[in-house]
Amino acid sequence: MSDILPERISIEGYTHKDMTVEKVPASCEFRPRDPHLVPAANRSVVVNPSRTCMPLGAIWAVMGLNRAIPFVQGAQGCTTYVRYTFARIFREPGSVATASFHEDAAVFGGRRNVVDGLRNLVVRYWPSVIGVVTTCSSEIIGDDMENFIKAAKKKLREEIGDERADGIEIVLINTPSFVGSQVEGYNRAAQSFVGSISRKTGKPSGKVNIIPGMIYPGDIREIKYILREMGIEPTVLFDISDTLDAPLHPPKSLPYYPAGGTTIEEIRGMGDATATFAIQTSAGEAGARLLEKKCGVQYLPGPMPVGVAHTDAFVTAVAQATGREIPRSVIDDRGRLVDTMADTLHYTMMGKVAVFGDPDTVIGLTRFVCELGMTPVAVMTGTGTKTFEDNINAILEEYRDIFVEEPKVFNNGDLFEFEEYLRGVKKLNLIIGHSKGVDIAAECGVPLIRAGFPIYDRFGYQKKSIVGYRGSELLLYEIVNTIMGHHYPAAQLEQ
Amino acid sequence: MPLTNLKCNKCLPERGDHIYIHDAQNPVIPACNIKTLPGDMTERGCAFAGARGVIGGPIVDTIDMVHAPVGCAWYTWGTRRHLSDLYPYVAPGQLANSSFNRRFCVVTDMKEENVVFGGVKKLKESCFESIRLFPEAKAVIIYTTCTTGLIGDDVQAVARQVEKETGIPVFTAESPGCSGVSQSKGHHDFNIQFYRQIRALRERRPELAMQEEEKTPYDVCLIGEYNMDWDLRMIRPLLERLGLRIVSVFTGNERIENLIKMPDVKMNIVHCQRSAEYIADMVKDGYDIPFIRASFFGIEQTSMALRKAAARFGLEEKAEEIIAEETARIEDALDFYRRKLSGKKVAIYVGGPRLWHWIKPMEELGMEVIMGACTFAHDDDYEKINERHKGGMLVIDAPNEFEIEEAIMDLKPDLFLTGLKEKYLIRKMGIPTVNSHSYEKGPYAGFAGFINFARDIYQGIYAPVWKFQDGIAAPGRLAQGGEEK
Repeated sequence: MSDILPERISIEGYTHKDMTVEKVPASCEFRPRDPHLVPAANRSVVVNPSRTCMPLGAIWAVMGLNRAIPFVQGAQGCTTYVRYTFARIFREPGSVATASFHEDAAVFGGRRNVVDGLRNLVVRYWPSVIGVVTTCSSEIIGDDMENFIKAAKKKLREEIGDERADGIEIVLINTPSFVGSQVEGYNRAAQSFVGSISRKTGKPSGKVNIIPGMIYPGDIREIKYILREMGIEPTVLFDISDTLDAPLHPPKSLPYYPAGGTTIEEIRGMGDATATFAIQTSAGEAGARLLEKKCGVQYLPGPMPVGVAHTDAFVTAVAQATGREIPRSVIDDRGRLVDTMADTLHYTMMGKVAVFGDPDTVIGLTRFVCELGMTPVAVMTGTGTKTFEDNINAILEEYRDIFVEEPKVFNNGDLFEFEEYLRGVKKLNLIIGHSKGVDIAAECGVPLIRAGFPIYDRFGYQKKSIVGYRGSELLLYEIVNTIMGHHYPAAQLEQ
Repeated sequence: MPLTNLKCNKCLPERGDHIYIHDAQNPVIPACNIKTLPGDMTERGCAFAGARGVIGGPIVDTIDMVHAPVGCAWYTWGTRRHLSDLYPYVAPGQLANSSFNRRFCVVTDMKEENVVFGGVKKLKESCFESIRLFPEAKAVIIYTTCTTGLIGDDVQAVARQVEKETGIPVFTAESPGCSGVSQSKGHHDFNIQFYRQIRALRERRPELAMQEEEKTPYDVCLIGEYNMDWDLRMIRPLLERLGLRIVSVFTGNERIENLIKMPDVKMNIVHCQRSAEYIADMVKDGYDIPFIRASFFGIEQTSMALRKAAARFGLEEKAEEIIAEETARIEDALDFYRRKLSGKKVAIYVGGPRLWHWIKPMEELGMEVIMGACTFAHDDDYEKINERHKGGMLVIDAPNEFEIEEAIMDLKPDLFLTGLKEKYLIRKMGIPTVNSHSYEKGPYAGFAGFINFARDIYQGIYAPVWKFQDGIAAPGRLAQGGEEK
């Protein structure tokens, strides 16, 4: 294969657009994949996972704190790959420190890595918070992390004095990667921070705690908007809405720290709040429950407020917990969403959609597409939970009489079985999920609506919102416009 | 003394051994290829990343079996832009949307009980299942990671058994993330282990080697070229027009059957001399096949590469003909970019070899390299850097993020060539960047590719956005926007 280059290359250069890369088939002909091995439950191997490891969730959480740096007690890949993922998603700087874990640490233990590492980090960066995140290797060799951190603090006190050393919060998050997924990593981070920092003074603050889970800056801003409209000041643990969506203002001093993020004082004050909402139950419940036990702050679980009913449940729960009224502005937002649903129903009703991603996102999206009259023909989460199937089945039960096909639910599935299933679905209209579904959608000839973690192949999704009445309305626009663009000729769209 | 240190390192004097201002009269080699300080904000990856991501990933028709918990596989799935033309079928008459090496991610997904009781059984089952699921794959490569390295699973025994029972060659790349200093260790591990394994495989199954009658006097391998953004589409035709036959590329867009034939050629051409010279060395020692070093970035270096390759085969005239033709093809565009870029100051932060690959091309565009940094360079990389630069450049080995920030503040380059993870930090400081690992809109290699490179640099520097970075030009206190949070 060789390109015939033009006689003169223009200043526009010669790129993919100019090339024709002829695809070479990897086999003589199509052969269906072994049907016995398609269901994930029938095999040992996982093909195309829709989840990654716990440390990513914990590091994500720490990135949402003010002047905070995650410190990863593991090999350099454990930090670099996560930073790489964040760079792709947020297109923002993301500083993560490595313990630089090598063979010697694996043999003799990682004490020196923690003690020297925290010292080296502090004397250059002077962070307010360090989240120490463990990995497979340190968990397998059985590092006594609590003692290592104590030793590190002692060393810091000797070098920089008690006051400055004690001013830096160091919080341990145990995240062995062979357990759970990124969702559980975030969940454990919430538990660790609440457990080690939040206090009850006995003086109620009137605030509401929000543990958002792995939703994007746009979603967090929408949740804050709703609460502020209700006259409530939220404490968001962990608030990535500024730290991972920072403006370009060249810094005047170094090192670069993005503005924003939850402060230690705010986390401390969570013990005096009225209630804690875990927007994504599976990524926040552990923290919320601990806070309830420790400080008596009422825990109110999700569901993630996507669509009408889930957002109704959220605002009602907030109103009940705080005694505040649901304001006119929020009711009008709801009215606008319902109005748009009425306007768009002929494009959504009886449409077939497949939904995949993290459990709470999928539960929220599934209910919303049902509210739109669509049939969720396949619903998949890569992070299996005990309650996922019950939650999804409850939604399906409610809407079953308008379905055009029996839905299939995959709890703890992989994208390989999901795609093989979708190939057999006739007249699929839409797939909703993250960027790992791009190939599936292209091959099925169906558009992909991007939602959930991770989205890295488009700009701006981290700033959009899919939660609350307003976020749901924006998502509905994207759904309906995609359907119109993909499934309808222009002549049918003229009126 | 050319060694120096930065203000941010005042409590870390040892970093001073890694930082120098290059003086051509008095060149120094900094401390390098040593372990990152704990607590560092490093760009370095792990040995597994080097083996799986960089070297194994571009091979197009293998099952890349990552024997690990899910994360290690997920992070190496479709991330690097090592492109390929080999596509699996997904339906009758329909090929997949992504090439085979980027379409599937295969992992044993080690769980707690596997860590406790060992993962050998799970690995074996996973190999058998994958071979059944993906009959288009011609081989399996098993990668170990921290988890499976630490628990000590005997993956070689699994490889032997699976190969025996299925007849499919099974390779192992044992390069756990926590071994070695950086991803460079993974390159090395993969080179050594792969070489030994193809050597043993050729002894076991001589029919896999190239038969005598198929050989030609012009057979070469291109080593250390990973086909980032189709660089091979720029490099390969140049060598083929010269009259050489490229039997195999280690490893960009390459089939395993061709890689097994690496020892059957007359000469090797080594592009990335950091990640793959090891295997060229071993092929030289084991099979008496010489290699030349080449760079295909920039006009001067690409021309030099063609001349060097031609000289071995008596094809000098042909080389000059190609160089003249290709130079004429890009002359006008190159002139345009020279006019626009001349006098600009550039900083480069890359893995290792690209710093010295790119000093000359930047000079060809009239730009000056005022700062360079490497993630995983070794002594010989710094020798090459020093040889190619006239002096005055600040060089940092395995920088901490803060060091980069400080260098930018002090030196204020017009452009920063760096990877995905650092580029957003540098942009926040108001400096344009070009992605130097996977490119913005490549390919960047060869003659025509160099125009793409120059274009992306021009786009970065001349984008109107940078003039807006200082905020609203309103008088007095009107535009201060209050205190930062």
